[in-house]
Amino acid sequence: MIAQLDSTVARPEITWDGLLPILTLGVGALLLVLFRSLMKQLPKAAADQAVPVIGGVTVIAMWVVGGFAGTDVPLAGLRDGLGDPVFFLGLLIMVGLGGWFAQYLRLSVDAALTVMIGLTSLAATWGVWTDRYEIDGAFGLVGDQLGADGFSLVITGVIASAIVLVALLLDDYLEREGMAGADMYVLMLFSGAGGAVMASANDLIVLFLALETLSIAVYVMAAMHMRRSESQEAGLKYFVLGAFSSAFLLYGIALTYGAVGSTNLIVIADFLEQNRLVEDGLLMAGMAMLLVGLGFKVAAAPFHAWTPDVYQGAPTPVVAFMASAVKAAGFAALVRVFVTTFADHADDWQPAVYALAILTLVVGSFMAIVQRDAKRMLAYSSISHAGFILVGVQAASNEGVSSVLFYAVAYTFLVIGSFGVLSIVSGEGDRGTSLDHLDGLSTRRPALALALTVFLLAQAGVPLTSGFVAKFAVIGAAVEARSYWLAIAAMVTAVVSAFLYLRIILSMYLGQAEDDAPTIRVPRAAGLAIIVALVITVGFGLVPGELDDITRDAIPVLIAAG
Amino acid sequence: MSDFLRSYLTVGIFGLIGVALVGVFLGLGKILRPNKPTLAKTEAYESGVEPTGDMWSQANIRYYVFALLFVMFDVEAVFIFPWATRLEAYGTFGLIEMAIFIFILLLGLLYAWRKGVLKWA
Amino acid sequence: MDSWILTAVTFVPLLGAVIAMAMPNDDELHKRWALAVSLVAFGLGIAMLFDFNYDQAGQLQWVVDEPWIDVIGAGYTLGVDGMSLPLIALTVLVMPLVFLYSWSHIPSPGNTKSFLILMLILETGMIGTFVAQDLILFFVFFEVVLLPMFFMIAVWGGDDRRYASLKFFLYTLFGSALMLLGFLALFFLAKDPVTGEFLRTFDMRELTDTAGAGIARSSQLLIFGGMFIGFGVKVPMFPFHTWLPDAHTQAPTQGSVILAAVLLKLGTYGFIRISIPMLPEAAEAWAPVIGLLAVIGIIYGALGCLAQTDMKRLIAFSSVAHMGFVMLGISTLTDFGINAAIFGMVAHGLITGMLFFIAGSVKDRYHTLEIGRLGGMLIQAPRLGWILGFTSMASLGLPGLAGFWGEFPAILSAYQPANGLPVETFRGYMVVAAVGTVLAAGYLLWLLQRTAMGEPPEEFANDPEIVDVTPLEWVSWTPFLLLIVLFGVAPGLIFEVTDPAVVESLNNCLQFENGCDGVADATTAALGG
Repeated sequence: MIAQLDSTVARPEITWDGLLPILTLGVGALLLVLFRSLMKQLPKAAADQAVPVIGGVTVIAMWVVGGFAGTDVPLAGLRDGLGDPVFFLGLLIMVGLGGWFAQYLRLSVDAALTVMIGLTSLAATWGVWTDRYEIDGAFGLVGDQLGADGFSLVITGVIASAIVLVALLLDDYLEREGMAGADMYVLMLFSGAGGAVMASANDLIVLFLALETLSIAVYVMAAMHMRRSESQEAGLKYFVLGAFSSAFLLYGIALTYGAVGSTNLIVIADFLEQNRLVEDGLLMAGMAMLLVGLGFKVAAAPFHAWTPDVYQGAPTPVVAFMASAVKAAGFAALVRVFVTTFADHADDWQPAVYALAILTLVVGSFMAIVQRDAKRMLAYSSISHAGFILVGVQAASNEGVSSVLFYAVAYTFLVIGSFGVLSIVSGEGDRGTSLDHLDGLSTRRPALALALTVFLLAQAGVPLTSGFVAKFAVIGAAVEARSYWLAIAAMVTAVVSAFLYLRIILSMYLGQAEDDAPTIRVPRAAGLAIIVALVITVGFGLVPGELDDITRDAIPVLIAAG
Repeated sequence: MSDFLRSYLTVGIFGLIGVALVGVFLGLGKILRPNKPTLAKTEAYESGVEPTGDMWSQANIRYYVFALLFVMFDVEAVFIFPWATRLEAYGTFGLIEMAIFIFILLLGLLYAWRKGVLKWA
Repeated sequence: MDSWILTAVTFVPLLGAVIAMAMPNDDELHKRWALAVSLVAFGLGIAMLFDFNYDQAGQLQWVVDEPWIDVIGAGYTLGVDGMSLPLIALTVLVMPLVFLYSWSHIPSPGNTKSFLILMLILETGMIGTFVAQDLILFFVFFEVVLLPMFFMIAVWGGDDRRYASLKFFLYTLFGSALMLLGFLALFFLAKDPVTGEFLRTFDMRELTDTAGAGIARSSQLLIFGGMFIGFGVKVPMFPFHTWLPDAHTQAPTQGSVILAAVLLKLGTYGFIRISIPMLPEAAEAWAPVIGLLAVIGIIYGALGCLAQTDMKRLIAFSSVAHMGFVMLGISTLTDFGINAAIFGMVAHGLITGMLFFIAGSVKDRYHTLEIGRLGGMLIQAPRLGWILGFTSMASLGLPGLAGFWGEFPAILSAYQPANGLPVETFRGYMVVAAVGTVLAAGYLLWLLQRTAMGEPPEEFANDPEIVDVTPLEWVSWTPFLLLIVLFGVAPGLIFEVTDPAVVESLNNCLQFENGCDGVADATTAALGG
């Protein structure tokens, strides 16, 4: 950054096609604001027509952007594709199906647009992965500020999927709570764009900016429910503590800059590789501050205090987004800064992460079992999951990183599914989140109860679910790194948290619902989100090979342009 | 002590002298002046008008929103001034960059406007 | 016959369960379907018994070796040898009988469909555990067993089901968590004994071949310790046993029967299939501890039985005692002891399973299992009373019935444990265990006296619900009773199958100095063949 004070400033090399996944999210958000600012109220007739059209356009957008993302010659593959009648026909059918499906889900226009943006970004990520990354390896995106490697692509994909699923959950939720409008979706897209940049950042300043973009949008999302004072409280608490942690992070960046002379991760890594610091106090302090700052974001104990209150207060679909996308982005930053950049100082930070991991695991699992509120329980359980991911980070090895990725992917779908079910069950105003409200869910809504059971069992790490494979990978990495006691602590706390999940399951199956319990309506869109999460959870549990291959290909690297 | 830290020493001494100076003058004043408080003397001074009500008074929330919008463009200015001095070096690329920046900010204004924030009523 | 049979026998129940999920909600239809599915599995099991090459009982047969999750080195590896064959046969035999019993005994709150589906899934898990030859596959099946049982207790259990089911699940999960750690450590540490390279495999055959070569002794001890807790909870061994009485008491009859007949064997099977052959050195170090806990279990279980007022709880505690005998046999690390242990597992499965059936039927008739309130069964329901008497005799180890061949050789084996083990200590264990058999006779006969003998108590004297054994019960019980007699008269049927496999599995021990030197001749002599 500082180097740019030269008299001539070189235009940074921008790889547009590789940037597409992030651009889609960011520009999509901007366009959505623009669209909604210009057209506040669509005519009723137009609104009804719009949704299937958006569904059809989604298919085309995915195809065009996905194709564009992977090729050097834009649109060449697309032109060839259109020439093929079979392909063309297939595309037409897909467009029709997309339109019909959007109509069937009864999405609102905003939700449909958000889903479209998310899916397009996902397609772009896929395109970059298959046509660019798998062939050429990692490459720089914007000078040496952003880079696309397997790691950032997977995290971007996770964030895009989270956006799609949460948008499906939000659609009915916003309607139910009388908060319909584009605001929430726009914020989510901004936040997602921030997260994607964060995952691909090659510079601490860029990382910080991305983190702020991600966080500030989420602060507002948490406080969006105007009529619930808990939501306001959650927003404020999250904001104050988040700002506090940002300060830590920024101070850490400053100290690191002081020690190394650059904020660029590539330069830092090179410098540390080639030099041994005689006095490394400044660097140590910088690393500690960075760890604290990122620890806040991923809710690692002892920086977890905000989590239960915020998760309980914030609108449930927003919580799903926080626990999935935000956490994934936080861990992406943690891995890139510590495992990749400070690789040569692993001996220094590993003990700290070791301690954090154990503390997080213990606090998360033990505090969870004394809760009475399902949302709060899941908040603590998300803390203990963070502890598990930290176990993978602590290994500081390629196995560790790929296990972190696997965990992040698996957990994203698990947690969106879990909170999705809670969001449906809790009813208007998010009031019914206490454990009593889940009583007898198995007789009121057997399918929902079954879905939540699967999600909870997967969180407990029962085999044949993605949760098991994820835990297995993380523990395997820890054992390989000879952190036996950490592995044992992780397994024991996993059993402790299993108690919590079983408590929820037991109240669903054994509890008696009150006679005046409101009937639970399952909106189609939210149902679809839950089904998708369910299929992925069980699918990756039965055949984890595919995802495992991907995460093993996705070791983060620092790459400079040119 | 390294040169780097020695230069901070100057700053430190300067700061200390500053604090000491202020302390000395205030302390002298405290010692020299007569001290005879009356009720009227201890009241807050506000343009000679007698103060009423609580110190914590509520301001209209709309001031806040306007202040936010003002800050938005204030910050824009903060970025534009240094950019303007270096525009030659940045060239067309810099121009486009700034256009994008201003576009995003304007989008925010547009959004606020359509939300009805700019109406006072 | 090709290797498909193992896959078939394992997954037929699961397939049946999946199909059953799609079937309409008709109770009778589901009962027929579940029975039919389990009979198919039973048929496959019988076919296996016929096709098994008994001359090669020490070798794995029908081996399947397919890649599964390549990247973590887990394979889809199946195989059966003389050690697992009897246990598989036991499983496929018990399940149809349980389904038959369910014909008229669906515990409240009903929902036959889910109940039967869970049991089918359970069957897949149990068979899978016995056929798996890959540690991860083994672990997965081991865990698959857990969930259906948890739900069976939690939903169809007695009054205190919530507590019992949670306890069952958490104990077992805790154990398996440590066990998984042990597996992982084995994966990363095991070296090829010849080349000294890291193996990085979960294949149980390869790991058995290396037998812990190249792993530091301290690590071996820790790994064995992890597995010890994992399997020990499932057995259950003395300090980890407290889940068992609760689970048994609260579980529906079918659950208790399956739990006693098959589930407990998963733990002991793990010891003889995984822990001991793979880590013989550590096994030698741990053996006195295992033996000690085993005899504590024997005495503690027996004393516990004497103190019980609930019939089902009493039977549950007797399980602790019986599994103590099994573990004592295993802890000697001799082929004699381990053969006895396998026999003990099968015998305990048949006998205790039968006892739980009886307990279930008593509960149906009297609506209580409180021993103090029962009595005079021989007058009111003489056949039921006699079956109880017969099974109790078998359970206390009457020669000529199956129970004897589990207990007696296990005690005997402790007289001469493997080389390197402290002989005096084990002889001490032997004496204590022998006292245990006396106590067993005590509590079982006392149970019989209080429930079957005497006059029927007034509250039940004219109760029309108390009928004798129904035809359906006859059908589902007869195979148990016949087999108890058959194995009692001809124990060689099992010993001959298991012995080669046991000797084979102990082969590794022989490579070490002071290793667990089998007393192969002693077995043959003792069994008269």
